[in-house]
Amino acid sequence: MANVEIKKVVKKYGPVEVIHGVDLSVHENEFIVLVGPSGCGKSTLLRMVAGLETLSGGEISIGDRVVNNVSPKDRNVAMVFQNYALYPHMTVRENMGFSLKMRKKSKEEQNERVMEAARILELEPYLERKPSELSGGQRQRVAMGRAMVRKPDVFLFDEPLSNLDAQLRTQMRMELRKMHMRLKTTTIYVTHDQIEAMTLADRIVILKDGYIQQVGTPIEVFEKPNNVFVAKFIGNPPMNILEGVCNVIDGKRFVVIGKTRFPIQDGVAAEIVDGSPVLAGIRPDSIKMGQNVERLPKDWWCHGEVVVSEILGAHSLLEIIIDGENDLLAEVEGRIVAHPGETVRIGFEFDRMVLFDPETKMALY
Amino acid sequence: MREASRDRLKAFLTLLPSIILIGIFVYGFIGNTVWISMTDWGGDGALALEPTMNFVGLANYSDLFTGFLSSGFRQDLVNAVYYSIMLLVGAIGLGMFIAILLDQKPKGEDILRTIFLYPMALSFIVSGTIWRWLLAPQGGVNVLPTYVGLPPLTFQWTSSTKAILEFNWQNLIQIFLYIASFALILVGLWILKNNQKRAVKYWLGPGIIVGLIAWFGGGLFPEALFMEETHGFNLATLGIIMATIWQYSGYTMALYLAGFHGISQDLRDAAMLDGASNASYYRHVAIPMLKPITISAVIILSHISLKMFDLIFAMTGPDNAQTGHPALNMYMTTFRANDFARGAAIAIVLFMVAAMFIVPYVVSQYRQRTKG
Ligand SMILES: Nc1ncnc2c1ncn2[C@@H]1O[C@H](COP(=O)(O)OP(=O)(O)OP(=O)(O)O)[C@@H](O)[C@H]1O
Ligand SMILES: [Mg+2]
Repeated sequence: MANVEIKKVVKKYGPVEVIHGVDLSVHENEFIVLVGPSGCGKSTLLRMVAGLETLSGGEISIGDRVVNNVSPKDRNVAMVFQNYALYPHMTVRENMGFSLKMRKKSKEEQNERVMEAARILELEPYLERKPSELSGGQRQRVAMGRAMVRKPDVFLFDEPLSNLDAQLRTQMRMELRKMHMRLKTTTIYVTHDQIEAMTLADRIVILKDGYIQQVGTPIEVFEKPNNVFVAKFIGNPPMNILEGVCNVIDGKRFVVIGKTRFPIQDGVAAEIVDGSPVLAGIRPDSIKMGQNVERLPKDWWCHGEVVVSEILGAHSLLEIIIDGENDLLAEVEGRIVAHPGETVRIGFEFDRMVLFDPETKMALY
Repeated sequence: MREASRDRLKAFLTLLPSIILIGIFVYGFIGNTVWISMTDWGGDGALALEPTMNFVGLANYSDLFTGFLSSGFRQDLVNAVYYSIMLLVGAIGLGMFIAILLDQKPKGEDILRTIFLYPMALSFIVSGTIWRWLLAPQGGVNVLPTYVGLPPLTFQWTSSTKAILEFNWQNLIQIFLYIASFALILVGLWILKNNQKRAVKYWLGPGIIVGLIAWFGGGLFPEALFMEETHGFNLATLGIIMATIWQYSGYTMALYLAGFHGISQDLRDAAMLDGASNASYYRHVAIPMLKPITISAVIILSHISLKMFDLIFAMTGPDNAQTGHPALNMYMTTFRANDFARGAAIAIVLFMVAAMFIVPYVVSQYRQRTKG
């Protein structure tokens, strides 16, 4: 087990720079998730840690060792690929034992470690089968087993669950979490699924176009996004972002969007003064309905007309128009039934509202 | 149900013309050749409008294998076997080697690939003529050493009478048993890892028994000939083997290179991370994965070598005793000596040898398909 230090790492493909000086420290035993939209450089960064891509600049160290010029096989990292990359001509047992065979471990040790991994991953009945005779989930587990038997310093995962159906993905997510709790191996995990990121990560790294947008715990990136991109990328449904102007009325600051006024908490974003343009970010789940409204201060209440409602069971998604002009997405408890066209009372948790500078799109706290 | 049988009828009717044509022109003529090979058609009246043909059973075959005057054919057959083996090993080994080199993505891979594949585009007559010049006793390859001040080589590439690995045709049965024993043990070792019990019971055990019988019972078997007759690997065929390897290794290279390129980069990366060096990647991952390609290459090359005609014709003429081949022998026997029955028998022998290579392949393919 080891920490991973990524310092000012740059990657160029010919003249095109795709990673622009990324800095990141992964602590020992930490589960780091890299998220970002397609093409943002997640896989590239991960492959550079594995040694499968060369660096165009900067430095990567694993443990105390700078590994820029260390070949992949000597880095003691294990990687799980999106399409599993199992050896099709080998049985499950041979697949899992291959790395030990390559490292000239004794037959007994090979067998022992493979059996142990097979037991943890419940693969014992399939040891003599070929990968083509397994289901997607089983293949996924073999790929994990192959990484596990090596007892590597670092696990690298590149979208390992994206080929599975939704139900299996949820289940495998749990198993991954359990595996990490048991083995405590330092892990870097790439995904573009923000639910996976939220549920698995100790810390989330959000990447966009080869730049890190934010590094933080799941709660941090959810509640205190650094910028509009993170605010919209993390959380599903995404944050409501409304464009308005700050007005001071009776000595209190408000974001004014047409007829609507959102109060700004005292002590937040002192740089916003009367007349500053501002973006107001409101999480759908910070909009309350029914009984829950009662718990909020009276001046945080208002009325809105339901346009569409989607009932998902545990909660419902509502599109609500307030003051006849501003559209908002709200996520409310599933028991609350609202029909389109109905006018309902809603309340906002304004203490969770995030303000952004419309120029730079950066959050103002 | 009724719909299905209508579909079947349609399918059958569509296929009928080809079935009929193949039936007549392939299987019908094979059957006809088998029939001719069991007659005495040949000799003086062979070209008469209605030649006399008497059924003689397997006499032609027994003459080919044990007749006093057929030792030429037997040497041709031995040549063909050695030739096939050497071509398989040489062309597959060299082709694979070049493919591995090109798989390292050197500069100018495309050009090199074309260069290596190019000999395939030549007709055998052309490449045969080129190699005939190259291997001439006082030219080509033999004078190469003189460029660096060494004495020229004196090896008679296509007419040397030296032979190695000789054996006595009298012991044909014993040799056959040895080969059978060897094959059984080989298959046994092959499946030993997967199914120990079956390997021992059906392959290793019988293989060892057959081997022991051949070893101890040597003296008891009837001898194929009444006098000693040695056959071996004629060194004169080396030139032909070289020429064929030259012409076909580009082809196997193309097969393997396409295979290597088809292996996903992820799999290669996975092997690297698993600690495989470049060499062990090929040994443990890439080459085993390309087993189907190896099998196809074996089939294609072996039937090419068993049918080889034009290259040898161009390099040494049709009747060079040292470099003879059954296909040439068949041609000379049939159309120069007008011994049609005997020519047909040679054709059928070649056909059987080719089947020995191809039938196991077809069976294993068929099994895999029904299994998968
Ligand atoms: N071999 C290459 N040559 C040139 N450009 C490349 C190469 N590999 C990747 N890129 C570029 O680098 C950028 C980052 O690619 P990368 O594969 O890291 O994206 P990603 O974040 O993993 O995306 P996804 O979620 O779709 O897997 C992309 O814009 C891609 O076009
Ligand atoms: Mg990727």
